[in-house]
Amino acid sequence: MNKYTDVLIIGAGLSGLMAAAKAAELGKKVTLVAKGMGAVGLSSGCIDLWGYNLEDPNQVCQDPLAEIARLCAVNPQHPYARVQDVLEESLLFFRRVCQENGNPYLDHRGGNWLLPTALGTLRPTYLAPASMAVGDLQQVRGVLVVGFRELKDFYPDVLAANLKKSGVLQADCPLNTLMVCAGGGELTPNTLAHRLENPAVVDRIVDQIKPHLLPGAVLLLPPVLGERWDSQVAKNLAEKLGHPVYEVANIPPALPGQRLQQMLLHHVKGQGVEVVIGCTVNGARVADKRCTEVLATGAGKPIKISAKTVILATGSFLGGGLESKPGKAWESIFRLPVEIGHEKWSARDFLSMAGHLFNQMGIKVNEHLRPVDKTGEVIIENVMVTGANLAGCNHPIEKCGNGVAVASGYKAGKLAGEVGE
Amino acid sequence: MSSDHRLALDNCIKCSICVSHCPVARVTDKFAGPKQNGPDLERFRLEEPAAVHPSIGYCTNCKGCDVVCPSGVAVSAMNCRARGEYVSLHGAPLRDKILARVDRMGRAARLAPSLVNRLAGLRPLRLLAEKMLGISAAMTMPRYAKKTFLELYKPKNIGDTGRKVLYYPGCYVNYNAPEVGLALAEVLAHNNIRVEVEQFDCCGLPLIANGLLDTARDQAKKNLAKLQGYINRGYDIVTTCPSCHLTLRQEYRELFQLNTDPLHEKMLDVFEYLSVLLQQGKLVTRFEELPLQVGYHQPCHLKAAGCGVPSREILQLIPGLRVADLDAGCCGLAGTYGFKKEKYAISQAIGRNVFNAVKELGVRQVISECGMCQLQIHHLTGVAVYHPLQVLAQACGPGKWLAK
Repeated sequence: MNKYTDVLIIGAGLSGLMAAAKAAELGKKVTLVAKGMGAVGLSSGCIDLWGYNLEDPNQVCQDPLAEIARLCAVNPQHPYARVQDVLEESLLFFRRVCQENGNPYLDHRGGNWLLPTALGTLRPTYLAPASMAVGDLQQVRGVLVVGFRELKDFYPDVLAANLKKSGVLQADCPLNTLMVCAGGGELTPNTLAHRLENPAVVDRIVDQIKPHLLPGAVLLLPPVLGERWDSQVAKNLAEKLGHPVYEVANIPPALPGQRLQQMLLHHVKGQGVEVVIGCTVNGARVADKRCTEVLATGAGKPIKISAKTVILATGSFLGGGLESKPGKAWESIFRLPVEIGHEKWSARDFLSMAGHLFNQMGIKVNEHLRPVDKTGEVIIENVMVTGANLAGCNHPIEKCGNGVAVASGYKAGKLAGEVGE
Repeated sequence: MSSDHRLALDNCIKCSICVSHCPVARVTDKFAGPKQNGPDLERFRLEEPAAVHPSIGYCTNCKGCDVVCPSGVAVSAMNCRARGEYVSLHGAPLRDKILARVDRMGRAARLAPSLVNRLAGLRPLRLLAEKMLGISAAMTMPRYAKKTFLELYKPKNIGDTGRKVLYYPGCYVNYNAPEVGLALAEVLAHNNIRVEVEQFDCCGLPLIANGLLDTARDQAKKNLAKLQGYINRGYDIVTTCPSCHLTLRQEYRELFQLNTDPLHEKMLDVFEYLSVLLQQGKLVTRFEELPLQVGYHQPCHLKAAGCGVPSREILQLIPGLRVADLDAGCCGLAGTYGFKKEKYAISQAIGRNVFNAVKELGVRQVISECGMCQLQIHHLTGVAVYHPLQVLAQACGPGKWLAK
């Protein structure tokens, strides 16, 4: 079976979806294929740009955009240096798409939010969905952490104890915890979120919470308030309680990342993008530095896809975009080179603050996101590389994964949109 | 246990993407989830085959887990085998043995299809069937056609294009919706292609979904041998049912280790076949205007084929036709699943998204390739539901293909 398209995007993560949204908006025929569902559904649902100060990694960065400008000057190998020209534009585009789909993302006056996690730590992020955007915790007059008996992996007491230790709250700020019951059983976050879409269940939760509310208290809940990106559960709960209600970041499966993924998929399909998940690209034909077709399989059936532009958004080692064996790493579809250096690939400590070297491995690109070799020569002219495929960033430490994905995906979509007939 | 199988198990990185996309786990806690029943428990089953969680019966076999898995783990095949193990240990209820034999039900209904249809609509009888057998009284039963597709279809003499096409209609088209098969013949006749038919066994999917793997394996071998014979004689095989298609091409290999490689090239969804003609410049693209707005529902098993929506490109050629994707996920019926008393409510809860999407789009007609999805969408919304082929046949010329 053969398919023909203007722009082929391989990968359904954040950068692939951004590329699809932008290229489709520019009128291109876009096909997005992916082996499985992208990792954005496993993310916090927030868009991190840059977390900490370049010179002092213990200090939260106050102005991520300015910090990225400085980063690009001192580290021109960082992916941000390839997308700096569109960074702000890409964020505006992202926010417009979210807004139009009824899932607004909020910034914190140009700085970083400091949002509580399920462990009671505070993580910096640039854009947050309205349901997670807790304002300044220093200002609040009370916090109530609410957990559900049905839900594993969320313990209000742990959150409260660590939040107290963090010192972010005022010394006299009351901090209480409460377990509520949403009808019994042992539920996954998705099943609980589905249950909470029933207004009668929310009413029963409200009844259980009300007696414990102190004036001015802010409520922190696990990220289960609503199934879909346009869900009204968090808003309704807040209105019924008369108090602000927020979801905190938690381990996957968590709903905010899934909502972002669903929303972007729904958006690009509405823009006419053909989305084929469960279609694995195994290889490609390249002639005269141009990809003539990619070779895929769907449930065992071979599919050949030809496109004017191919956007490689397959992710890093975990997503299957990069492969490795001892002493060697490569990109899995085009066999693009991945530099490995001579140092150890990983640090001794799993949570090392220096990060792991393997996270920085990836494909080198020029300012048009085309893959280049050691000498800077373009390897394949009609292929662009985005997101976690890119070399040079250490996203778990730098807190820049989704930021790089948004900007590079947008830029690839825009450049693909400019390719003539 | 082969080393490949062990490796496949190790590929699961426990990311839970399958759990978060499972339509059943979303609406009920009765199903432990695809990861838990699949790769998690498979480790125990390697040592002790009886380690099957009873909640395996709540899997609909929609194959959403296979589609979304970023690590290529065949979760649904593990679950199908586990259900087979469970049924071979504990037996299947009579109800499941009846529902799984859609071919036998079809043949039995041949004796008096109108009477069967009337009886299926009688409330007291349905309540009795619910009490005695556990078949939901609330679910709409598929109606049997007065004559089967194989009885109705008369190959016409058409100018020879040299193309040999064999059609695998599947039980639903043959016994319940012969108009889909006739629409296929009409569309191919429009392109001067004659369709051959043959008596096949049921693909076996209802058996697989009910854990009756031994019978399914026998049918698989017979079907595959017949199909291979046609392929050897230069035929292309076309299908209109995504579930039959996926079963023949994927399940026979994954569950029964049969060689289905020839089918990957030679068996095509009818719209894939038409797309090939279009790419070769051989498709007759003379279509009448069809001023219709329809919703499109992609069946789970078409999604699982990983080839996209083959009808999309072809339907775009029809002037006046507007197709809006419902994009609402699984309809919830899953073949025999939604007919079971204890699963009816789950099935309807899953299908709620489809209901909402039809309401939101305001469409009065929906198209979908799967006969069971068609039935469920009609049951959920009351709107008319067609196979995309019926729309295409309507655009090919005279005849009334869209009146049900």
